Amino acid sequence: MGSPLDNTEIINILIEEIRETVPELEGQPISASDSMVDLGVNSIERSEVILAAMERLDLKIPMVQMHGPKNIQELADLLLVKSAG
Amino acid sequence: MRIAVTGIGVASGLGYGKAAFLQGLFETRGVFSELTRHGREPAGGEPPFVGVELDEPPNVLPARLARTATLSSRVAMAVLQEAWRDAGLDQVDPERIGLVVGSSNPMSREQALAAQRYADKLEFVPPRHGHMFLSSDIAGLCTSVVPIRGFSQSVDAASASGSVAVIQAMDAVRSGRVDVCIALGALQDLSGYDLHAMRSLGVMGGADHAARPGEACRPMDLAHNGFIYGEASAALVLMRKDLSMSHKSYGDLIGAGHVADGSRGPEPNSEGQVRAALNALAQAGLTAKQIDFVNGHATGTPQGDFEECRTYHSLELHHARINATKSIVGHGMSAAGALELAAVLLQIKEGRLHPTRNLENPIDESFDWVKAEPVSHEIRHTLKFSFGFGGINTALVIAAP
Repeated sequence: MGSPLDNTEIINILIEEIRETVPELEGQPISASDSMVDLGVNSIERSEVILAAMERLDLKIPMVQMHGPKNIQELADLLLVKSAG
Repeated sequence: MRIAVTGIGVASGLGYGKAAFLQGLFETRGVFSELTRHGREPAGGEPPFVGVELDEPPNVLPARLARTATLSSRVAMAVLQEAWRDAGLDQVDPERIGLVVGSSNPMSREQALAAQRYADKLEFVPPRHGHMFLSSDIAGLCTSVVPIRGFSQSVDAASASGSVAVIQAMDAVRSGRVDVCIALGALQDLSGYDLHAMRSLGVMGGADHAARPGEACRPMDLAHNGFIYGEASAALVLMRKDLSMSHKSYGDLIGAGHVADGSRGPEPNSEGQVRAALNALAQAGLTAKQIDFVNGHATGTPQGDFEECRTYHSLELHHARINATKSIVGHGMSAAGALELAAVLLQIKEGRLHPTRNLENPIDESFDWVKAEPVSHEIRHTLKFSFGFGGINTALVIAAP
């Protein structure tokens, strides 16, 4: 990633990965306040989404540190904090 | 106990489904070409690999599942669905249905590509890779979509996997464990690594045939020089004969033999082959004299073909018509036994034998080969051979319904 990350960029990446992982969500709006659980993303798929996003952001964060966020916004916030070191 | 085959699903270079398969077998449509699937590139300076690659399977899975399923699994679902509908299994109690998948290292190509992709960033390996490359994932995916609740498992017997799956399914029905058991020969998705190793091992041919790929696969012909790979998969629905009366039947499985000969690698062994055939015939209550059709394992490796002819001699099969399905669709590896049993059953139904492609000068003229032209033949009792690396020899006896 060239330029410094911002929160919106990470949210967009997460939403893209959610759509990639669960193609059935096509046509359904997804916002930062949605949680993946409420969107019907199962636990393996949630890990897939987070790892795929981390790969795109070139962030190497142990998955055990990724528990806690309640929605996409909070997940993006956590990723942003971790990316800042 | 007689076991009827009441449903068939197939995928081969001839297309998806029984109709395309049957038509292609009798027309001996040319399907061989250079292999171009990603991950099968030859080493620099080496001739390309020759064989048969499938078209994209029909979309039978929800997109969410399809993206996490390997080629082997997606093709397995396609042939399973065809066989399931063919046999009308929606009418059967799911707990009385079993599934045996014959597979051998089934997702090698995609796993090799994944290992390359994540070689320097293992942190990002997708969690699904923890289960989707296991051979058991084929049965896992199938049973997650189709109501099979008796049992499921995979069995590995190298190139005899499809046949051993049929034998295991026969045992499951005979023992009463289930009333219906599906035997599925899974697509063995060879990687470039596998292809190079098979070529180095001296068992795979085609290195001199890049310009004429259609002439490379020639089982039992004097110019044979190794097997030619052909992607394939097939599913067969086996049912207790007494419960299958209301169902159509393609043929009955009446005998099976499965023996080890003590070889570790690719060496064929006629003594083991004969023993498997005699066991199958004894179980069927028949002698070799009563066999009117032999569908060979017949891969096109010189040593394998000669050894198999020794077996035909020992069993005195000179009176029987003989053909080789691999001549048309290539060697389906772990799928071969199941796909070729499907070919046998469809030939029984047709009352015709398909040609053996490229069989111009048989290595042994004392047998009654089906050569370039199909022949009409009332098939009553078939002997079907399948062998696998590791000293695995199987034979099946199939009776017309």
